Amino acid sequence: MPIDTVSRNLMLDSLKKYAVRRLPYDTIRELDSANEFPADILKEMYNPDILGLHLLLIPREQGGLGGSTVDIYRVCEMLARIDLGVATSVFATFLGSDPLRVGGTPEQKEKWMRRIGEECLLVAYGATEADAGSDLINLRTRAERVEKDGKITGYKITGNKQWISNGGVADLYTVLAMAPGGPSWFLVERGTPGFEPNKHEDKHGIRLSNTAALSFDEAFVPAENLIGEKEGQGLMQAQAVFGYTRLMVAAFGLGAGEEAVETAIRYSQQRIQAGGPLSQKQGYTHKLIVPHEIKFEAARAYIDHVARRLDGDAHGLQTEGAIAKYYATEAGNKAAEDSIQALGGYGYTRDFPVEKIKRDVKITCIYEGTNEIMEMTIYRGRWQEHLKSRGQYYADLGRELEALHAQSADVGADSAALCLKALAVILEQCREQKLTRQQYTSFKLGELIAKAEVAMVFSRSAADKNYTEGVKVDRDTLKAMARVCARETALEVALEGVKLVLGGGTGSAAELTGATGLIAIEDKQRGVMNDKDFIAAKLNEVYRSK
Amino acid sequence: MRIAVCIKQVPDSTQVKVDPATGTLIRAGVPSILNPYDHYALECALKLKKETGAEVCVVSMGPPQAQEVVRLALALGADRGILLSDRAFAGSDTWATSYALSQALRHLGGVDLIMCGVMAIDGDTAQTGPGIACQLGIPQITFCDEISVAGTTVRAKRLIEGGHETVEAGFPALATMSLPHEYERAYPSFRQIAAAQEKPYEVWTVATIHADPKFLGLNGSPTRVDRVYAPSARERGTIFTGSPAEIVARFLEILKQENFVK
Repeated sequence: MPIDTVSRNLMLDSLKKYAVRRLPYDTIRELDSANEFPADILKEMYNPDILGLHLLLIPREQGGLGGSTVDIYRVCEMLARIDLGVATSVFATFLGSDPLRVGGTPEQKEKWMRRIGEECLLVAYGATEADAGSDLINLRTRAERVEKDGKITGYKITGNKQWISNGGVADLYTVLAMAPGGPSWFLVERGTPGFEPNKHEDKHGIRLSNTAALSFDEAFVPAENLIGEKEGQGLMQAQAVFGYTRLMVAAFGLGAGEEAVETAIRYSQQRIQAGGPLSQKQGYTHKLIVPHEIKFEAARAYIDHVARRLDGDAHGLQTEGAIAKYYATEAGNKAAEDSIQALGGYGYTRDFPVEKIKRDVKITCIYEGTNEIMEMTIYRGRWQEHLKSRGQYYADLGRELEALHAQSADVGADSAALCLKALAVILEQCREQKLTRQQYTSFKLGELIAKAEVAMVFSRSAADKNYTEGVKVDRDTLKAMARVCARETALEVALEGVKLVLGGGTGSAAELTGATGLIAIEDKQRGVMNDKDFIAAKLNEVYRSK
Repeated sequence: MRIAVCIKQVPDSTQVKVDPATGTLIRAGVPSILNPYDHYALECALKLKKETGAEVCVVSMGPPQAQEVVRLALALGADRGILLSDRAFAGSDTWATSYALSQALRHLGGVDLIMCGVMAIDGDTAQTGPGIACQLGIPQITFCDEISVAGTTVRAKRLIEGGHETVEAGFPALATMSLPHEYERAYPSFRQIAAAQEKPYEVWTVATIHADPKFLGLNGSPTRVDRVYAPSARERGTIFTGSPAEIVARFLEILKQENFVK
């Protein structure tokens, strides 16, 4: 029986209660300051009698709980609210076991997944090298065959890995190395002769997460530790889970950002300036609070939408994973920055958690592929759709949103429709003028596509009878948020798109303004301020200071 | 041996405020929890289960979302969960609720020991447990913080003014549990939560428990709530310092000023 919503919420509750008891902010602050990995906390979180949260990633056949994508992203979001370093450490086990989950033989899965579950093994994912980050083609770590009587008995691994989460503390490592047959994943146990983890890095943030380089000098692993027992499958196995793993990083951006902004909202109700609390001042709320909460709900709607598709019959969803990661982590990062501003001088001290969250959340824009790689991935994925559909991909989606608007007139679907149609025009202009030869243009298109698609999914979600799990505001507020998101995104996509085309190519501003429907989009901006006033008041109700 | 634990889902009252204008509770953003007294009663029942092998059933009455606390109880170790959920129960006061729960317990049958939290943190009445005992005509031991079972006798330590008293009752009996001094609520592991999904869980209606609708809901409730309001905050008092003689002199002076003494 798959884990249902009630169980999922109970799990999140147990995790939250555990954190309140064992990881209060003062403890986290000390660990952060000491740059210390809380090994005892991780062991307790994995202890099946206390939490056993890692069992979510172990299939039922191997003694685990077989958590769905929805289960795991919800737990990732909660972990990020607690501490992004701890979250990263748990995630590294998820990530480290992915090559096995995707590419392992049934015997390998039975042996290793069961061990990870029962022995509570911490796992590390060893792909990155000094010259091979997002681009794994430059992989230098080698795996040489060891043969006996013409049969491969094992491999000797030689090389160095960098920025490996759990690098210094893991019990088990999945390591990507170049075998004679091509890049391949190997399982390496801690203590293998010839393998040494290096010192824990002194990082800007996520300092509760151990990050270390790994050195391999002819470290021998038996042939059965080659994942899939076939060389050359490594890149495919790594690529296969990007949609999924990037969705989890998106949940990190969301969780960390939410925690920062909620701290700011509560603070603003107590901070009296010029005769009233900051929470009642529009210049404060509409700049530092409301825009972020809107983006979080938009991100949540999108992440949930992709997670449910992955739990259904969809595979890969690399472009969608990249959109989720790009949007949610940019939102979380900017929100944490503004939360420091929202707390003024207090925000700049370590007495309040926002300063730490800001340092922590930055990594989500970097790891699992930088957000610039996300822009490129999104652009490449959707550019193909644009070409295949002869420019109709977004025009069709625009028509769908018009139909939604006819059903539900208060979720901003009309603005989202205009946004998608404008995007279709921009993409077509870029094709006709060959503007995507300019790298900046192609990356920027990736950004605009991400924003337009998230606004579209948010409008649909606000109209959907099923309420997205984790939403704390009521339906009217969610609809107001979807309206603001769709209106502002439409304006941004149209204006930025026009700027791209005119800036990089040729054409008439007047014609482009007409073709993108810019005037109609501007017309849709009426009422945005009222919606923001309404949202600000509601947020103060939902997140009251204690 | 069969133990039934009556539990309730309540808003986390540490986070609830009263809207001064309307007198209603502001529920937005307030999480629902298992009433802490019931949580303790359940943990006591599970301890008895460990010692005696008793079956533990939890019974709750509430809207469909009250399933959450029943599932929490199952995850913590209860064997069977029952939720009384029917529109006809809505608006029931403590008397009507006691009637509904006692009917459910009759329907369940074979219950040796009924355990309740002493009260719910949203109403603080402490009436429902005694009400059930009254409806069933069985002995009750209230305000207990320790409980044990020997054969067909329940023995409980109950709080009284200035100390404790130990009381025994023969089965079937009802005990209401108060919170001990130091108590940290237990929470289930992920595996326990997943396993609870497979445990028996039933939703019972008015028809299931053969209850008479005229004793339920607003009509069956003798209580009428006049209004709900947050008491106004008391003004800060004055603290006198100095020697006892100085303080008495100052106090007398004020009493004279206020015309309490001449």
